[in-house]
Amino acid sequence: MEKPQIVGNTIVIPSSLDYLVDVDSFVEGLLRGFGLDESTIADIAISVSELVNNAISHGNKSSPEKTVTVEVGRENSSVRISVTDEGEGFNPDDIDSPIAEENLLKEVGRGIFIVESLMDEVEVKNVNGATTITIKKTI
Amino acid sequence: MKLTDRLEGDVVILEPKGKIMGGPDASLLHDKLYEYIEQNRKKVIIDLGKVDWMNSTGLGILISGYTTLRNHEGQLKLVNVTEKIHSLLTITKLVTVFEAYDSVEEAMRSFK
Repeated sequence: MEKPQIVGNTIVIPSSLDYLVDVDSFVEGLLRGFGLDESTIADIAISVSELVNNAISHGNKSSPEKTVTVEVGRENSSVRISVTDEGEGFNPDDIDSPIAEENLLKEVGRGIFIVESLMDEVEVKNVNGATTITIKKTI
Repeated sequence: MKLTDRLEGDVVILEPKGKIMGGPDASLLHDKLYEYIEQNRKKVIIDLGKVDWMNSTGLGILISGYTTLRNHEGQLKLVNVTEKIHSLLTITKLVTVFEAYDSVEEAMRSFK
């Protein structure tokens, strides 16, 4: 895949940080269409950017032949977004706390912590060599 | 993200605009910051007033600049921290690390 592909409420991108902007434009556009306020849109957009960053760099290890899929869904009182990569997955409980004194000045390691802080639900699943993280925000 | 930079006396003022989310845009801020540090500039202000939001990549750049300057007896200060970014700094406890001011002038005066 050489460039992002959009079908309905789903965008698929090659494993390159160059396409973070495309994912953000796509997701924020849909969220605005749902009528969400700007602060909620920003919280969701920040969370999606964290998950896509991780999916590209850690999940797919920036392998050009692998892709990241982002799907946006609206339910009655919530927005649900899933980010799927082709990596082996991880256990969020294995990540060191970024707010521990000894980690406070580390340059990395805050992504999932921020997502868990901003979203109402975060679920990680690994099935058949694909890892999907689903986030849910009540609106 | 777009970035403007200027010198006021011996103080570097960086003004990013837009979103700091990673990828080539975030590299702009990192590279410009280190360009000034390599010129031995030790007083840096980052004006965040026009930043819509940032994620952990943006926070990582701020921390990197902060620690690098501190190790060279310099200082990095934040100005016009928006409500959204302040919320992130609070969640991550980085609010205890950075000095933040309401205006560039106030931050300028705070440098020793």
